[in-house]
Amino acid sequence: MAGRVAIVGYAQSHHQHDIQMTREDMVFEVAKGALRNAGISREDVDTVITASTDFLDGRTISNLYTSMAVGAYLKDESKVEEDGAFAAYYALMRILSGVHDIALVEAHTQGSVVNPHLVSSYTLDPLFERQYGFLNDISAAALQARMYMNKYGVSEEQVAMVAVKNLMNAADNLNAHRKMPDVTVEEVLNSKLYYDPIRELTMSPVSDGACAIVLASEEKAKEITDIPVWIEGVGSCQDGYLRDRSLYKLDSLQKAAQDAYGMAGVSNPFAQIDVFEVSEKYAHEELMIYEALGLCREGKGKTLIEKGMTGKDGEIPVNPSGGALGADPICATGLIRVVEAAKQIRGEANGYQIPAYRALAHGQFGICAQKNVVFILGSE
Amino acid sequence: MPYIKEERKETISVEGDWDIGGSTTWKDSTLLQGYAQGLKEKRIIGSLCPGCGKVIVPPRNICGRCHRKMDEKVVVSDIGTVTCFVISAPFAKGKMQVLGMDPVETGLVGEGERVISVYVKLDGADSNIDTELIGAKPEEVYVGMRVKAVWAKERQGKLSDLEAVEPLRD
Repeated sequence: MAGRVAIVGYAQSHHQHDIQMTREDMVFEVAKGALRNAGISREDVDTVITASTDFLDGRTISNLYTSMAVGAYLKDESKVEEDGAFAAYYALMRILSGVHDIALVEAHTQGSVVNPHLVSSYTLDPLFERQYGFLNDISAAALQARMYMNKYGVSEEQVAMVAVKNLMNAADNLNAHRKMPDVTVEEVLNSKLYYDPIRELTMSPVSDGACAIVLASEEKAKEITDIPVWIEGVGSCQDGYLRDRSLYKLDSLQKAAQDAYGMAGVSNPFAQIDVFEVSEKYAHEELMIYEALGLCREGKGKTLIEKGMTGKDGEIPVNPSGGALGADPICATGLIRVVEAAKQIRGEANGYQIPAYRALAHGQFGICAQKNVVFILGSE
Repeated sequence: MPYIKEERKETISVEGDWDIGGSTTWKDSTLLQGYAQGLKEKRIIGSLCPGCGKVIVPPRNICGRCHRKMDEKVVVSDIGTVTCFVISAPFAKGKMQVLGMDPVETGLVGEGERVISVYVKLDGADSNIDTELIGAKPEEVYVGMRVKAVWAKERQGKLSDLEAVEPLRD
């Protein structure tokens, strides 16, 4: 990269099912928290990028209402109508443009105020899928799961093992929402069935939560902190719409990861990246993510989970924070992965610290993870 | 002046029902409740910023200028000054829809009547409330006019308890 950009501060809420706060207060707390964490004030911020969706926020152009809470009053401001990880990507570009030095990135969702799965139906093609009425994000994920499982001979038990790993990991994370320290594969397989094979414990919970980070140019980052977390590589990619996609693999994530690896000089992610924080909205997606990230061959994600290689004590820990299965405040989820990866590098992942010099964070948006973004973070 | 657009000619349409059956909730702290309860007792409540000292009415929980919480509530006067006003075109039956209803047909305003919307800075406040001016003709209103709150006879702790403002007569 021409100039370097670092994460210099972060904050996230205690994600939960029904947070007793207004959306503005929730946004305010994390924005203020991230600035405090960076040791700077609102006056130091040049540009503010937020992420949420108008449908989930219950009003159109919803950033007009949260602008003062996030600290954007009389500042350059813009909004991403998807995950906060894309907002971070956008903010990074604004700093690299040379126009801005410090960016505040914030993302939030209160999943409890509206049925988010209903909202996802609005993203469907109004002429066909909506008329048929079969598809929503859960039933589409079930199609994706079955396509993947059929193609590579993946069992429901193997998918359930992802849920067990992440829900147990979430138990050590203060900010996580669904903590299940004693959960078993059997319990996962007996949880409520939505669309076969998607069950309550193999899909992410509906959470309320927010997250914010502060990004700074190299010069500013060195002034602000002794422990900058450098963005070494980044990649973002959009897949096709449902009908003409290979649902059994995540092509756009694979492309995004390759771009990020190329930029960071990573040729062997298995050996060169110490910890992974990924947005698995459904348990089977985490196995697909292993493959798209090049951690194993196509269809061999099941081997990684079975051998415990992605557990906290494994060779390539994935989601030591509990991932999206541990908490999913929709638009904040990917940005939370960026924060969790940064925490690992700063040595601040209390209770689930992995010795890490380089970490990967992944965010996604859209039905069946249509769009993906990958960050490679490092300490040097 | 045409208030209603001409009906658009459709090129193609797809028939079908799509009942989304959804609703959304707005989480509120105690801002609205506190404000509305105040109105019941003829008190207008604002929030005070501990940073810049500004008083915002109706109350808000965050001061964007100072990026601080505004937890303290204060009572402002029910007398204030018109800072700006807008006079509507004469209302006429079949010309306008408000919330899906014809305001003339429903008797909300009379045929030919002009409504005066005002921005009022209440004494003790640093922001404006938007309300209706009654008891004055369109040609009588001016910026700087002193006005007073008109309260509902039976107040129920609702926003409608503060009905409008009227010119302050000495």
